[in-house]
Amino acid sequence: MMRIINVRSTFARVAAAMALTMLALSARAELMIQITEGRVDAVPIAVVPFAGASDAPENISDIVRADLHRSGQFKTLEPGDMLSRPTSADQLSFRDFRVLNQEYVVVGSMQKTDSGAYEVRYGLYDVTREKQLMTESYRPPESQLRDVAHAISDRIYEELTGIQGAFSTKILYVTFNRGTQNPYQLQYADADGARVRTIVRSKEPIMSPSWSPDGSKIAYVSFEKDGLPKIYVHDLASAQRRVVAQYKGINGAPAWSPDGQRLAVTLSKGGNPDIYSLDLNSGALEQLTDHYGIDTEPRWMPDGEHLVFTSSRSGGPQIYELDINDKSTRRVSFEGAYNARPDVTPDGRYLVYVHRRNGSFHVGVQDLQRGTFDIVTKTDMDESPSVAPNGSMIIYGTQYRGTGVLQAVSIDGRVKVELPSKEGEVREPAWSPFL
Amino acid sequence: MRSFIKPFLAVILAGLLAACSSTPTEEDTSSTDTMGQNTQTTPTTPVERPKPSKPETSSIPLTAENFHNHPSNYDGTTDTRVIYFAFDSNTVPAAAFESLRAHAKYLKQNPNAKVRLEGHADERGTREYNVALSERRAEAVQKFLRVQGVSASQLETVAYGEEKPAAFGHTEMDWAKNRRVVLNYTAGRP
Repeated sequence: MMRIINVRSTFARVAAAMALTMLALSARAELMIQITEGRVDAVPIAVVPFAGASDAPENISDIVRADLHRSGQFKTLEPGDMLSRPTSADQLSFRDFRVLNQEYVVVGSMQKTDSGAYEVRYGLYDVTREKQLMTESYRPPESQLRDVAHAISDRIYEELTGIQGAFSTKILYVTFNRGTQNPYQLQYADADGARVRTIVRSKEPIMSPSWSPDGSKIAYVSFEKDGLPKIYVHDLASAQRRVVAQYKGINGAPAWSPDGQRLAVTLSKGGNPDIYSLDLNSGALEQLTDHYGIDTEPRWMPDGEHLVFTSSRSGGPQIYELDINDKSTRRVSFEGAYNARPDVTPDGRYLVYVHRRNGSFHVGVQDLQRGTFDIVTKTDMDESPSVAPNGSMIIYGTQYRGTGVLQAVSIDGRVKVELPSKEGEVREPAWSPFL
Repeated sequence: MRSFIKPFLAVILAGLLAACSSTPTEEDTSSTDTMGQNTQTTPTTPVERPKPSKPETSSIPLTAENFHNHPSNYDGTTDTRVIYFAFDSNTVPAAAFESLRAHAKYLKQNPNAKVRLEGHADERGTREYNVALSERRAEAVQKFLRVQGVSASQLETVAYGEEKPAAFGHTEMDWAKNRRVVLNYTAGRP
């Protein structure tokens, strides 16, 4: 496994929230065991039920507890195991939590005000030092209670790890429900799987969803209407969209440049799949690769000057890096005969891609600084890895009992989160930027 | 009976070998792609067509390995609308030649007819890479038809990768059924 370089990056590996609904949480409780697999050092924290939470439309303390638990960084205490359930600082007896070996405790309340908004207060306390670390209050309307819950999770996570939390992010993904009128749907949800929104429904395939760097737009491939692939850019707030590529042959694999001005795309209009840069303002197209092998699945490096992509130019698929200025390429992956569909961590240090070993497809992580490569998943039909905006976790598609499901794993492979399958297949997750 | 089957099996096996000659080992599954379109996929006119002896086809065991080249999948007429491919191969199987020639003949006689060649891959590997692989299969069928003299204006290809499987299981046989090119007439259906 990869070595830990410094404390900050240690924390950076472990974070983020995944798509378990509360229902599935109880129904598939045995899967939760895997979350802390390999992390005996998960930090014990007690999130005490907030006053008024059970009567509110969204139970903030339950959401925060689930967020922290799913990150794999924390071991959360079940409310039923608590000796006391304080809801404010003056009720808090540190001793009750110290005897349960808790390091931190969160207490709070949520109350409906006359205006209809909620008054949410909470505090984070260090049990050992018997000290308040943080206290905050919010006044959200009812519709934003979940946002406040995730914001609290982000604050607690950052306070205790030094890394920005990714609980307030979204996951974009494709679902497939065979036998329904529109089997292919493009959806997004909170990072914990709640608040699912459908963006597009289609009889024909939808593929390769990708976020703009500011999170306001998405790009994707849709075969709707005439059965031919087109690349769409879709504004989430207005639901307005436009076709940006409909050339002869493949129109695929859109990836947004860090400045949001361009899409890297795969087109085969030249007779062969190559990578192009499409200027979203002018519509101008620049060909970046020109090789008779397959070039596809581009991702921008954070510098905006380089791309990584899959190419078959040396035999089977391998990862290459391209300098967009002089169009020079160099091979990056060398282990095994199948490496494809790269993503990159926000700091540009790690490449995450699909690696085949003994006929199985796993997610692998390559450390570009140290040159090491490690397989981080135990599942064996893995695809479409996507890195969280804080670089902590990778969400990816795989199969569970023959059905497409999403799973998440920390960059170092120590935390594994198994996600319940919703109805039908879920595939091609794309983790949003910070929103 | 047996004496009939044996030579026929030999033809099938020969076809299989021809189709699979570039099929790599499991540890090097993608090497056919590497040759690029210059050398691969050229489904040149076959020197000899396998003699169709329909009554015998049922006696040849249908396996995931020979599925793409099994005579029961091709009836030698334009009724055959699906061409199957060996694992990681873009080579048009010999058993499909006669059916494709029937399509070519029909298309030449009916210049208004148009066919969309829909390429598909099995589910293994990454999705956009599979789109590219499936395009190569569609192009292989397109080249075959072009070599037979079909006008380019009657042909169109689309690559669906693994997105539209015909079989939804996850066995070798399901994958064999999904590695295919579908001839979809968009005008002048025979």
